[in-house]
Amino acid sequence: MSGRELKTKELTLSLGPQHPATHGVLRLVLDLDGETVVKCTPHVGYLHRGTEKLAEHRTYMQVIPLTDRLDYISSMANNVGYCVAVERLFGIEPPERAKYIRTIMSEMTRISSHILWLGTHALDIGAMTVFLYSFREREWLLDLFEMTCGARLTVSYGRIGGVRNDVTQEFLDRLYKFTEEFPGRIEEYETLIDQNRIWLQRTKGIGILSAEEAINWGLTGPTLRGSGVPYDVRKYAPYDAYDKVEFEVPIGKNGDVYDRYRCRMEEMRQSNRIIKQCIEKMPKGPILTPDAPKFTLPPKDKVLADMESMIHQFVLITKGPMTAPEGEIYSAVEAPKGELGFYIISDGTGRPYRMRLRSPSFVHASVLPRLCEGSLIADVVANIGTIDIVLGECDR
Amino acid sequence: MTIKGLAKKIFLIEILKGMALTLKMMFTHAVTRQYPEEKREPFPGFRGLHALVRKEDGTARCVGCGLCAAICPSQCIHVYTSEGVSHEKIVDRYEIEVSRCVYCAFCVEACPFRAVVLTDHFEYAAYTRDDLYMGKEKLLSNWDRFMAGKKGNEYFEKFWHPLSSDFSASGNQAIFKKINSEG
Ligand code: SF4
Ligand code: SF4
Repeated sequence: MSGRELKTKELTLSLGPQHPATHGVLRLVLDLDGETVVKCTPHVGYLHRGTEKLAEHRTYMQVIPLTDRLDYISSMANNVGYCVAVERLFGIEPPERAKYIRTIMSEMTRISSHILWLGTHALDIGAMTVFLYSFREREWLLDLFEMTCGARLTVSYGRIGGVRNDVTQEFLDRLYKFTEEFPGRIEEYETLIDQNRIWLQRTKGIGILSAEEAINWGLTGPTLRGSGVPYDVRKYAPYDAYDKVEFEVPIGKNGDVYDRYRCRMEEMRQSNRIIKQCIEKMPKGPILTPDAPKFTLPPKDKVLADMESMIHQFVLITKGPMTAPEGEIYSAVEAPKGELGFYIISDGTGRPYRMRLRSPSFVHASVLPRLCEGSLIADVVANIGTIDIVLGECDR
Repeated sequence: MTIKGLAKKIFLIEILKGMALTLKMMFTHAVTRQYPEEKREPFPGFRGLHALVRKEDGTARCVGCGLCAAICPSQCIHVYTSEGVSHEKIVDRYEIEVSRCVYCAFCVEACPFRAVVLTDHFEYAAYTRDDLYMGKEKLLSNWDRFMAGKKGNEYFEKFWHPLSSDFSASGNQAIFKKINSEG
């Protein structure tokens, strides 16, 4: 180039919304200087369905299927989160057995969500085999969900004051068998990638977030714990049976992609431990609270025999719990992705006056520019994977 | 770097371990199902296509109370009723927009008469939306096709909740038994 300057220009690239590595319909507008990301702008909202607004027009029970569709790969945890919020708002205490069942279900969800995350994250980074292995165990869990409530993904299983139906002996036996075999399966995944040099190079030292930064960004769940902050709603504000089981909260040290991966792997082991303890400790007893007749449907065998039950059935279904006390509450549970919060205002009618969702995926998506800017374009995919977002929950 | 670390690096130990696992898997059973050829029975209580229950006399059991339409979160059930000569309620039309249904089974849960049910049929893709807008006749024929004879009232056990037994402890509830997990 004889004396003339070579002109360079930044390239604007739209990653998504149909890109397979964005785990849904996330769109990132990347300004690229060669292979380096200069600017990253996440665009969310492609999956917006107006869940919060829809909830205002539905009775408390009808909101349950809406919560299924937030983080659709961990719908049990969403159901439980919503039910716990409503129960705390109205002072309902679910029976012991229901609490244990819910805890089991939440943890099964956590495992199945983390397994899916592991499979797809590894697939994004280039380790294809893990994906195939992880789906084997996920299928096992989904079969168990189907066995209990008839659906595999959108389960609608939690109920205000308990759960939909009781678990069967076959379910417990199969699940117990799962808990005995699953640690071995985790070791299989680890054999494949834990020490793999390509995996290490793609994950170690990538997307580092210090503990302080992670807190400032409002991160929760394994994404926060990877940076070494031991914050877990299950420990700090226990709900259901979490205060009756023993488990540890695994934390990372460096806050990079690898540490977050390790955190989630350890979490699966802990979840497995929780499930096992719950199965062993689960008492016999009611699965729906008899003390909150305003919120639970009356027993079906009584509806046609007993006038009061019948009236109650009609009112509850058409109008919702009419004499629900007024009040408002913020209640959070530890969903697989992080802290899932429900802020519910009741104005005394049968429907929530306002329901606001604090969805971890939305908060986590906001940290993407911080992680991606200055990194290479190949690491963008690793960064999307490591914060573990689901766009159904992000866009609500 | 230690000698061990060096050996690991040169001989690709961790990669070989992974390969060994893959090799081992070649001699185990395949876990995938060849779906359209090889089908799995859904578990009892699977929430699939709707059906309206037909009584022994051939008519629908539904009385048109409209509770299923009221509880449906996606509001896809439409019940139209009129008054008969002797002031009884006649169900003129009972329609479910299947393509809008979210399969929560709340309609079954709400129905006091066990008149609507979700069958275990899930392969009902259609070419037009009209095929997925099911009227009373179609829903009754669903019952004949998927439910008649083989599963009667006991099929509702999985859906029809809550029952009185859910509010109290009963003797035959499932709890952990060490024997079972070993056997
Ligand atoms: S299953 Fe749910 S969404 Fe479908 S028709 Fe019944 S109540 Fe409505
Ligand atoms: S199906 Fe059941 S709930 Fe629906 S209108 Fe008929 S009787 Fe009432």
